[in-house]
Amino acid sequence: MLDESVFAELVGRALRRGGDFADVFCEHRRTLSYRLQDGRIHDASYGVTLGVGVRVVVGESAGYAYSDDLGDDALKATADAASLIARSAPAGQAGCSALRAEGVASLYHRDPAESVNPERYVALLDRADATARRCDSRVVAVNAQVVDDVQDVWIATSEGRFVFDRRPLVTLGVQVVASDKKERGSGYVGDGGRTSIDYFDRETPEALASEAARIATVNLIASPAPAGEMEMIVGAGGGGVLLHEAVGHGLESDFNRRGTSLYSGRVGEPVASDLVTIYDDGNLEQERGSLNVDDEGVPGQHKVLVENGVLRGYMQDRLNARLMGVESTGSGRRQSFRFAPQPRMCNTYMPDGESCFEEILASTRRGIYAKSFAGGQVEISKGDFVFMVGEGYLVENGRITAPVRNATIIGNGPDAMRKVVAVGSDSRLARRHYTCGKGGQYVPVGVGMPTVKISSITVGGTQHG
Amino acid sequence: MDESAAIDLAQHALEAARSCGAQSAEAAVSIARRLHVEARENAVARLEGSTAKGLLLRVFRDGRRATLATSDFSADGVADAVRRAVAHTQLVAADEFAGLPDRVGTDGENLSLCDPGIAQRDSLEKIDEALRLERLIRDADARVVNSSGSHYTDAVAVTALANTNGFAAAYAWTRVGRSTGPVALDNGVKRIAHYGTAARHARDLEGLEAVATAAVRRAVDLFGARKPPTMRVPVIFERDVAASILDDVFAAASSANVAVANSWLTGRVGNKIGSDLVSVVDDGRLIAGLGSAPFDGEGVPTRRTPVFERGVLQTFLYDTYYARKLGAASTGNSTGGGVGPSNFYLEPGSLTLAEVIAATPLGVLVVDTIGFATEHASGTYSRGARGFFIEGGEIAYPIDEFTVAGQYAEMLAGVDAVANDLRFDAAVVAPSFRVAEMTVSGN
Repeated sequence: MLDESVFAELVGRALRRGGDFADVFCEHRRTLSYRLQDGRIHDASYGVTLGVGVRVVVGESAGYAYSDDLGDDALKATADAASLIARSAPAGQAGCSALRAEGVASLYHRDPAESVNPERYVALLDRADATARRCDSRVVAVNAQVVDDVQDVWIATSEGRFVFDRRPLVTLGVQVVASDKKERGSGYVGDGGRTSIDYFDRETPEALASEAARIATVNLIASPAPAGEMEMIVGAGGGGVLLHEAVGHGLESDFNRRGTSLYSGRVGEPVASDLVTIYDDGNLEQERGSLNVDDEGVPGQHKVLVENGVLRGYMQDRLNARLMGVESTGSGRRQSFRFAPQPRMCNTYMPDGESCFEEILASTRRGIYAKSFAGGQVEISKGDFVFMVGEGYLVENGRITAPVRNATIIGNGPDAMRKVVAVGSDSRLARRHYTCGKGGQYVPVGVGMPTVKISSITVGGTQHG
Repeated sequence: MDESAAIDLAQHALEAARSCGAQSAEAAVSIARRLHVEARENAVARLEGSTAKGLLLRVFRDGRRATLATSDFSADGVADAVRRAVAHTQLVAADEFAGLPDRVGTDGENLSLCDPGIAQRDSLEKIDEALRLERLIRDADARVVNSSGSHYTDAVAVTALANTNGFAAAYAWTRVGRSTGPVALDNGVKRIAHYGTAARHARDLEGLEAVATAAVRRAVDLFGARKPPTMRVPVIFERDVAASILDDVFAAASSANVAVANSWLTGRVGNKIGSDLVSVVDDGRLIAGLGSAPFDGEGVPTRRTPVFERGVLQTFLYDTYYARKLGAASTGNSTGGGVGPSNFYLEPGSLTLAEVIAATPLGVLVVDTIGFATEHASGTYSRGARGFFIEGGEIAYPIDEFTVAGQYAEMLAGVDAVANDLRFDAAVVAPSFRVAEMTVSGN
């Protein structure tokens, strides 16, 4: 790619008008994707993302510019454009140290030089399709996609850091629609991680497809969901979406430095039931949200966000850490070279508690068991969040009684976390397919959770009374 | 922006595709210069400005197709990527419906998609606009104590399309927007709201004062909001929320979803789905519309397509592939890789929103929602919401932390009032409307 001397020159040029620090992010990403529809390989696509982003930070202000043209003149113009921010803010002082390349230990399970016979991708899709159709005669459609993505990044900073990281990410997703002529139901299951497609030798397309078909047929016969406040059992694994929305976003440092999050200024205070501990970890092997180094060149870390109900800290990128007088936690992430970094989650999860699933179920008089999740969203100032149930059941008098259709569940972050009354000993990370959106930027993340009981939450179904 | 430069890049990609063995191909090139200014607390928090190019190439060989998307325009980069894309066709199943459209073209009508003033305007003025908006929200109300930023954005761009049947055309377009996110302090609770405006032409934007006032009102009007009781009541969706419902209606009317059984509208063309007030149009020819274009992502001329007329589903929306597959004609809705909306909207009614509220003895007005996962196969709708409780035709008190839910088929059939407040600030828009009965879930 670009010569190391080009990075040094660009960093220096970016700071010509002043600034506290600058960084240069170069990306070369190749994405291969095959999609199956109607029982056959419907299309194939190949994507290339190549470009350079230059950032200059002056106090609370950031100038950013990017270029997909790696020619000398275009790159110089890009550094100049980023440096314009220093005109409108009091100029800081920064020198550019000599760059030194740093090696990184890898969390990724893939030979960096691996080449894959494309027939293998197609075979995964065919196997998923055949399995889903065999599972149930009511299966009317199977849509499956496999994506193999390799992102090379080079990051140079004005402190003299220069790192390279090759980040693999594979995903196999299977969507199944079941129909009985009258009703329809769908199910989706995806998995993968920062690994190679060998991963699907263990987590097989057969397993994913039969799970998706099972969820589709459950949703096909599901009743409308109930409406109103009730108890909720959050399923192990994918239930981590709850943590991501109810707590995680509110602990990202941009919102807290600016004081727009309801968690601003509350480190050391109780924000949840003392049963609640939440970590965010960028160092878990193969997980979607893991990074050898973040998009500012800082190694990933294990962060304690909440410990026994007490808020312990925020997730920091460099700009906000600097302004808050702390160190980056390796949480600076960006979708591509076209975006400046933001503080983001990596893999957010809750460790084991002491209850078992059977006890939690038996203690529930009337509630909903949300076994899997289709996603969620939060408004970080007041803290109201939602998450959408992918597979849910009604619980009555300690027994699972009937499947219920996809419903949105709404709560308030600290309120829901205070109402955590039981935490299971079955913590696990969810299947790896979650992607998080913030400020128009999408990055892969992981979530995890043991079975958790919340004493009261609002379920957004249609069946009242 | 130079339209001929974009066409040249597209033609170059077509040549590469032919020389790699593609029998036919189609190349779309976009070149866009974008500016984003974020102001916060009297300072420029972000200043981002760049020009970016993108190539989307579709290649066909023996009825098999593959797609390439790249930002690498170097000679070696294009050659390598095109070679890989053509090679990929070998793994795709032959598909009798895959291929270039039969009919392409552009009638040369000026859709007024470009405001030349945007490129000419000094960037310092644009920066000042964001700073002024940020000051206005703080001056508007003493309870505004913070903000998530005030923004000015613009894009000056060209889109070019060429295919191996000899089609080659390009058009210039612009887009400009302003938005803000005030945070007001309500007895210890931080209430954030967002409001924005966007258009092809700067003259069509709502004024800075109007944007600031609307955003601040959205934040402070919710002061003291509480959770409503769980009930079945009429629900009024305010304009911007109504637009998000039209997003779901578009998804259900998209032939790409219909073809894979992932739409609750599958098999229902000609059926009475909505009430008489439900007339929905997809219009690619709207003058200065944010969803307008002379031709779609594969060169098919855009058009005006009635999708629902007085509640009756008239047609799905098609690109060339799904039209052939489902036995219809393209409606000019190709995005180049899929099916997308032009200007997709619910026709406005004659009442003001205030009149709709006044005609609602008991109900809920929803002004904002969170959540997004509609289950399109069954048409199940459920969202987190905030808004107002309506009693005796008047707004009684603000409410939040509730959900509103229903089945799409029942919701469209239940539309019993449509307001006249439609604005075209996005490709998919709607006026405020009321649904006769939905489930509001709270206490």
